[in-house]
Amino acid sequence: MNALIILIPVTLVLIGFATALFFWAVNHDQFQDLDTPEVLPLMDYTPGPETCFPETKELHP
Amino acid sequence: MTTDDAVWTRPALLSQVLRARHDGRTEVTLHVAALDDARRTIGLQQYLESLAGVVRVRADIHARRLRIAFDANRIDLPHLLQACTACACPARPLRHECLDASEQRAANESLKRLAVAGLFTMQAMMFALVLYLGVIDAVDAATLALFRWLEMLAATPVIGYAAVPFFRHAWADLRAARAGIDAPIALAVVMIYAASVFNTVRGAGHIWFDSAAMLVFVLLLGRHLELRARCRHQAVNHAASDAVPLLATRRNTRGQFERVAALELMPGDLVRVSEGSVVPADGILQSAHARLDASHRDGESRARAVHHGEPISAGCVVLDASIELVVTHAGSEASAMRTQRLAADAARQRARTDHASPGVGHFVAGVLGLAAATGAFWLWHDPTRAFDSVIAVLVVACPCAFALAMPATLTRAMTVLARHGIVLTRPRALAALACIDHAVIDKTGTLTRPMLDPENVEIFGRCTRAQALSLAGTLVRGSSHSVAQAIAHADPGAGPATATASNIEVSAGGGLRGRINGRPLTLGRAGFACPGRADDGATWLTDADGPLACFHLTEGLRSGARDTVRALRISNIGVHLASGDHRARVAAIASRVGVEHWLARQQPADKYRLVRDLQAAGHCVVAIGDGSNDAAALAAADVSVSLAGATDLARRHADLLLGDDLGQLILARDVAIRAMRIAGQNRRWGLTWNIVAIPLAACGLISPWLAALGMSLSSLCVVLNALRLSHPPTVIEPPRPFTPTAGPSA
Repeated sequence: MNALIILIPVTLVLIGFATALFFWAVNHDQFQDLDTPEVLPLMDYTPGPETCFPETKELHP
Repeated sequence: MTTDDAVWTRPALLSQVLRARHDGRTEVTLHVAALDDARRTIGLQQYLESLAGVVRVRADIHARRLRIAFDANRIDLPHLLQACTACACPARPLRHECLDASEQRAANESLKRLAVAGLFTMQAMMFALVLYLGVIDAVDAATLALFRWLEMLAATPVIGYAAVPFFRHAWADLRAARAGIDAPIALAVVMIYAASVFNTVRGAGHIWFDSAAMLVFVLLLGRHLELRARCRHQAVNHAASDAVPLLATRRNTRGQFERVAALELMPGDLVRVSEGSVVPADGILQSAHARLDASHRDGESRARAVHHGEPISAGCVVLDASIELVVTHAGSEASAMRTQRLAADAARQRARTDHASPGVGHFVAGVLGLAAATGAFWLWHDPTRAFDSVIAVLVVACPCAFALAMPATLTRAMTVLARHGIVLTRPRALAALACIDHAVIDKTGTLTRPMLDPENVEIFGRCTRAQALSLAGTLVRGSSHSVAQAIAHADPGAGPATATASNIEVSAGGGLRGRINGRPLTLGRAGFACPGRADDGATWLTDADGPLACFHLTEGLRSGARDTVRALRISNIGVHLASGDHRARVAAIASRVGVEHWLARQQPADKYRLVRDLQAAGHCVVAIGDGSNDAAALAAADVSVSLAGATDLARRHADLLLGDDLGQLILARDVAIRAMRIAGQNRRWGLTWNIVAIPLAACGLISPWLAALGMSLSSLCVVLNALRLSHPPTVIEPPRPFTPTAGPSA
C-alpha cells in the first residue's frame, strides 16, 4: 500500500497540471485553427511570395 | 472593387478597424477571399509573420478571416495590405462591429468543460474499479473507504464545474415555469451526487459517482459537437456577408461617381443609392422623394415614404428609383446593423432549437410526474429500492436523444451545404426545402443573363450609336436590374463626365424615365417607351421627339439552367416560369430550358398571386429570383432562393443563397431530403429508447449506472447518425452512344 500513498497524489497532481495546460491552450486559441497547419510538414522552403505563390512571379521584377 | 491603400492612413478610418490589445500591440482583422486553400493560408501566414513588426497571424479558413497582431511603431496597415496583395490574396480590413466572437467563446467554454469532465471522469472510473473489485472481498475496508473519498474528489470538479450549464438552464427553466430537457438531467445528477456524498460520509451504502460523471461527460460531448458545428456555420455566414462589402456610390471631387467601401464615407459626401440596394450611411435625402423599406428596424417590410430634406437612416433598402443623399454620419451603422440582424436571427433560432417544441415540455412534465409516482410506489412497497428506481427513471426518461435529433441534423446539414458554397440563412427552411413540389422561377437575371453587343444597337439617324449608348448608360447608371447592367456594360463610358440623370422614375416591368441635361428620356419596353408601338422584345430609348435607338439584347442561359429544370421535372416538381418580359421571348426561353408552364408580362403582384394560388392549393412552393421585381413573391414562398448578383433586398430575405450555378439548388434539395430522413430516424430512435426503457426502470430492473450508460450511448448515437449526412454522391450518367464524327474527307 506504500506505492498507493505515493502514486495517488502524483496522479492527482498530474491531472491538475494537464487540466491547467489544456486551459492555457484553449485560452490562447490553440484549438481554433485545426485545418491549415496540416500542410506544414509538407512545406520545405522558406515562405515568401515567390515560393508560396508562384503565380505572382510576374508581379515581382 | 479595389480600395486605394493610401485610404488606410486616415486616422478616422483606422480607428474603426484597429484595436489595441492588452499587451500594447495593435490588432486588425482582414477579410481575405482567397483563403480557401490550406497551403495558401499557411504560405500567407508565414510570409506575414516574417515581416518586421508582425507578431502573430491567426487564420480562420472557414470565415476567410485573418487576424494580425502587430507593433504599430514598426509596421502599418497599408504595408500589411500591400504584402497580402503581393501574395495574390487581396485583403480588406473589417470593422469592429462586424466581429462577433460569441459562438467561438461559447465553443471554447464548452471545450474546457468537456476536458475537465473527460479527465476527471476517467479518474473517477479508475477509482471506482477498485471499489467494484472490493465486492469480491479482495480489498480491505480501510482502502475501500479511502477510495470512496478519492472517487468523490475526482467527481466533484465534474459536477461542480463541467455540469454547471445543465444546472443553469434547468434553473432558468424553473424560474420561467417551463419544463425543459435539462430539468431531469440536473435533478438526476444532483440527486446522485448528494446521495453518494451522504453515503461516503456515512461510510456505508452504494455510491454512484462514476455514473453521474460519465453521464455528464457524454452529454457534454454531444452538446459540444453541436456547438462546434454552429460555430462553423457562423464562420461561413461571416465569410458570405463579408464577401459582399457594403459599397456606396459617391460623387468624387471631379464630379464623377465612383464605387467605394461604405466605411470610407465622410460627412458631406453625396451618395447615390440604386433601387434594391441598402442605404450605406445616415444622411439627408436630396432627391424629390423616395420609398424605403425599414425592415431592419421593425422586422416588417412596409414601405415608408420620405421627402426631400428629411433624414434617412443607414440600413434601409430603397424600393423605388435611385436616390441621392448627403451623408451626415460616416458610414458606420449599416454593416453593424446587418451583422446585428444576423446575430439576432441566429440567437432567436438558437432559442428556438434549444426549447424545440411544446411536445418536449409535456414529455418532461410527464417524466417528472412518473419519477415521483415510482418513488412513492417503491417507498410504500420496498424502500430500499426506491432511490435507485427514481434515479433510473429520471435518467432513462430524459428525452435528450429526441431533443438532440433535429438540431444535430440541422447543423450538420448547414456544414455540408456550406462546403458547396450554399448558405442557408434560416435552418427551418431546410424542412420546407425537402418537401417542395412547385417551383416559380424568374427569367431575367435568374434563368438568363441578358447581354448587349454594341453592334446590335439600331439607330434612327438622330444620334450616333455611341451617343445612344452613353445616354442609355447614364440613365441606367446605378440601377441593379440585369437589363440595365447589360446596357451599362456595353457603354464605353466615354460620355461627358458631368452628365447625370435626374428625376429618375422606375416603372416595374416597364422601364425607366429620367432627364439628362433637361432632356426627358425614356428607356424601356416598346409599349412603355413609345406608346402605341407593339412590343417586340427590344429595349427602346426615346425622347420627347421620338425613338433614338433600339437595343436588341440577347439572353444567355445561366449555367446549369437546363439541367436544373430537367432534374426538377424528373422529381415531379412543377416548374413555372414567370417573367415580366414579352411573350415571344419567354416562350423561346421556356422551350430552350424545357419549361411547360410559363407566364409572360407578369407584374410583381402577378408573381405574388401565382405563388399564393399554388400555396392555397396545398403545394409547397420554392421561389427563385433576383429580387428586382419579385421581392413580394420571394417573401411569400415557403423557400426563397437567390443567386449571386441578386439585389440586396433579395439576399436579405432569401432563405437559401446560392452561388452562380443554378444546379446548386438540386444539390441543396438532395441534402435537405437526406437530412430530414436522418432526423426522422434520430427522432424515432430517441422515442423508442425512452418508451422501452421507462417501464423497465420504473420496475427497478435498471440500475443507475446502466441507465446512465444507456442514455449517454443513445445521445451519442443520435449525433453520430447525424454525421452520416455528407455530400450527395455524384450522379453517374449513362454513357452516351458513340457517334463517329465525319472523316477528314467530309
